[in-house]
Order: sequence, then structure tokens, then C-alpha cells
Amino acid sequence: MDVSDQIGGRFVRMSRDEIADFQGEALKHSVAQAAKSPWYAAKLKELGLDPRDIKSADNIIKLPFTTKEDLRLSYPAGMLAVEPEKIIRMHTSSGTTGKPTAIFHTREDVDCWAELMARCLYIAGARSHDVFQNMSGYGLFTGGLGLHYGAERLGMWVIPAGAGNTARQILLIRDFHVTVIHATPSYAMHIAERMVQDGEDPKRLGIKIAALGAEPYTEEMRVKLQELYGFKVFNSYGLSEMNGPGVAFECGEQRGMHIWEDAFLVEIVNPDTFEHARPGEVGELVLTTLRRDGMPIIRYRTRDLTRILDGVCPCGIAHARLDRMVGRTDDMLIIRGVNVFPSQIEEVLMRHTWLGGNYVIQLTMREALDQMTVKVEIAKSTFDGSIETIRTQRAELQKELREQVGFTVNVEIVEPGSLPASEGKARRVIDERGGHV
Amino acid sequence: MYNEIRVFVENKPGKLSHVTELLGNAGIDILALDIADEGQFGVFKILTAEPDRAKQVLSDAGMTVAFNEVACIEIADQPGGLVKLAKALEDANLNLNEAYGCILERGKRALFIVKGENLEAIESAARSAGLMPLDSL
Repeated sequence: MDVSDQIGGRFVRMSRDEIADFQGEALKHSVAQAAKSPWYAAKLKELGLDPRDIKSADNIIKLPFTTKEDLRLSYPAGMLAVEPEKIIRMHTSSGTTGKPTAIFHTREDVDCWAELMARCLYIAGARSHDVFQNMSGYGLFTGGLGLHYGAERLGMWVIPAGAGNTARQILLIRDFHVTVIHATPSYAMHIAERMVQDGEDPKRLGIKIAALGAEPYTEEMRVKLQELYGFKVFNSYGLSEMNGPGVAFECGEQRGMHIWEDAFLVEIVNPDTFEHARPGEVGELVLTTLRRDGMPIIRYRTRDLTRILDGVCPCGIAHARLDRMVGRTDDMLIIRGVNVFPSQIEEVLMRHTWLGGNYVIQLTMREALDQMTVKVEIAKSTFDGSIETIRTQRAELQKELREQVGFTVNVEIVEPGSLPASEGKARRVIDERGGHV
Repeated sequence: MYNEIRVFVENKPGKLSHVTELLGNAGIDILALDIADEGQFGVFKILTAEPDRAKQVLSDAGMTVAFNEVACIEIADQPGGLVKLAKALEDANLNLNEAYGCILERGKRALFIVKGENLEAIESAARSAGLMPLDSL
């Protein structure tokens, strides 16, 4: 891929060996830099570690993890690693409980972030002649300025539309022939629905590329949006602790998100043992900043669960590809020693149109063995009166669930309206195993 | 051909009383009822004189309901009353998947409700044996 150095072409073109070499040096630098912050200085001292003990990227395992809680405890500036006058920007992420977490950037950090973001848009097919509309909220939220700086770096005509005001969004897209957008998947769907309601065809907007992220969405949703608009949807992954957007992005292949390994050292760890997962195995994504001096973060536990896709991407970029996030560690269930996520169950259930949307996962213990029962409502509209039909469909569902999780799942088909309406994931899981760890 | 009502129910105490109460309160008379059971769930098969209204009543109450086409063949309610029909089906080489019966008038008229691959063939076999398939009850 012909990528200019303006957007980090020399990094994008790196081979696996070159990435490994670069990461060794970058990690040494990043740890030494982190040690300048009060938080990491104390942390390393406590563990009896000297930054000089880190000699290669493999040595990462000597270093401690950093959690969201650590970021809260170090608030406001415990992880600041440069003199305050060198900082030109900060962002915060809204904590659901109490204190926010703050991230600081030097001029070089902001510059690097813009470069990473520009690369993301470039590999998805955006070019300097494109017109880009950013429908993210600006301000402390990173989706606004993050995408904005990246798009400018790429040289696109940038419209900082911000969030909301659907009529104006459509007007701007039309009048300025917007070809690339950034939005949440649900907002992109909202605009399309609004247009269809008004008897208009979203395809006629002429948008080619949509960068969608900031909330989870299914592959079905992507397909639907692509059909509605006639554009290609690219998955984006980012988190404010790692700058924001620009961490990982899909290339034209749309098969996994390339994570920029010159800027982030990637680990996938088993969420129970914290040891490295086997290649291709799902685990918690752990990231270390390699190119952020203002506030380096070491081994940040993202709580996002994913795996690294095997094989070489046909696009030629050697940077690893992350699979879709399968869930959060907070949602993870351990059943017979196997990690299972409600999203895996949901994915199978969604394929069965004879079922309604409501389901409950019940965990019980029988003869010292975990049992998983999925209770799911039958859909009224497809019931044909035949018990044989349900029997066959249930057997098929059970087989697919077994293939998905690796053990037999009990399936109970229940009447519509008999389960609590679905609001959030927590209520979908009923763990009656008692004392099970 | 006739529409039998099929209701999806979980296999739990109180389901039969719930369904029969709904129909009873609506003044709908149940002529026959059969239960197909699959352990954790089951399907009620209900024969009434007012299938459309019965379906509506149950559906309005949130139940999962469907029509199922069956053949309702009137036979004589007397010893050997079913033989005539059974022989007619045998002669036409027809298989039945499901069947149950009810008495319409004791000692006079009974009903045999059947489901098979080919309902029309079943009905015409009955007719040729001088038996009457009913379209309304």
C-alpha cells in the first residue's frame, strides 16, 4: 500500500520483524518515560523494578498491569510524565462512578494521534480529495477532535458537524457532497430511517465510506447499513485511555481491525490467570502506549475481550488484526472452566427467527457440574402450530449452541412475555450456582 | 377442511385451566381437546365451533396461537362406527399422522378428527364411503 510518510507510511509498511525491533526500543523508551510520573515511579519502586530491566518487548511481562481504578486513583495528574508546560491537550473519560480519568498529550502526542487516525481513514479508502463529516460530539469526548485531526492530517475537507440535528446533517451531506462520515452505528441508522420515512433514498447521498464505532454493533447491522446507504462500513476501535479513536481500524478487506503496533504493544491475556492467551484464543486486550510521552500507560487492561486474527491480511499490512470485541470481562461467565460471554449466546439466538428477542441464561449446579440453561421466548408470528417444527428447530439451536460454547446447553422454549423485558446484559444472567468462583 | 386451534404452552401446572378459562369466559364451547407434549413445552389442540373467535380471544390474551387444518369426519356413534372410515382410508392407501375423536350426540353422531399428508384425499375417501366431512360445527 502506497502510504505517504505524512501519515506514518514508514510505520504502516513495517514487516513483522521490523515491528518487533521497533517495539523493543519503543518499550524501553516508554517505560523510562513512564517512570518520570509519580504513579509509575512509585509502582516500579514498590516492585523493585528499574526501567533498565526492560531490554526487549518480551520483557513486558515483568511490568505491572494498569487498571481503570489505577487511573482513577492517580487522578488528576499522577501519571503525568512531562513538565506541565509541555502539555497542549487533555481529554477525560466520564467515569460511571465518581471521578473521571484524565489523559494528557504533548504536541508530539497530538501529532502522533493525528497520524494514527489519518492512517486508519486512509486504509479504509479515504483520500485527500474526500469530504469528511464528523458527527461525533466534540469536547472532552475523543471521537470529535480525534477524528477531526486525523481527517485534517489526511487532507480531507472536514465538516465538524458534531452530534445531533439530523436535518442539518443531511443538508450538509447533500450540499457539500460528503463522501466519508464518522458516526455511531445507531445514529447512522437513525438518519437512514428518517430519510426513508420522508420518502428519500439514503443511497442518493453518495457517501462511500462510513467509520462507525463508539458502541457495539452486530455484523447484521453493518450489512443492513451498507445496503441502505450503498457505502462500506469500517469498524473502528479506540478508547480514551489509548488516545481515543485511531487505535485499530479495518482496511478495505473489512476482516478485522489493524492495530497500529508501532504505537501500541498488544497483549491478549486470559482474564482469570492474566497469562498470555494462546494464539487465536479470546482474552482480555491489554495495551501499552509506545509513542505517548505526556502520559504513557503500561499494560492497560481494557476489559475488552477479543482475539488476534490468524494469518496475513491480503491488504499487505503486517500490523496485527483484532477480531470484533466479543464482550467485556465484566460480562464474562465461567462455566465448567470455559469462558462464555452472553454475546456468544445472543449471536446464535439472533439467527433463529422463530424466536423472540427475550432470553435468560440460567446457571445452576448439578452433581458438581455447572449447567447452563437458555430460556428463550418463542416468536408468536412464526408459530405454525406444529410441535414437530419446534422440536426440530430446538434441536438445531441446541446443536449450534454446543458448537459455539463447547458443552451441552439446555434450551427451554417459553411463552412470549414470560421473561423480563431485555434491559441491559446484567439481568439476562441468573447465576444460581451459589459460592461458585 | 376445518381449522383446529393450536396453542403453544410451557409444561407447567395451570396452563390448561388458564386456556380453558379464557375460552369459557368468552362463551366458547370446546368440542375436543388433545395435548401434544414435548417435556418442557407442549401444544394444545382445540376443536371449537368458533375457531376464528377462539383464536382471537387467546391471541388477545398474549397466547401463541395458530390454525391447523384438519379433516373432521362425522361417523355414527355406535360399535363399529369408525370401521367404515378406517376401511375407506385403508382402501385409498392413506396414512394418518394425528387423530382424535369426540361425541357430538351420544349414541348418534361422533366426530373423528384427523390430520394426514393429503387432507383432500382423506375427505374424498370418506365421502366415497358415504361419510360426511364437516366444514362447520
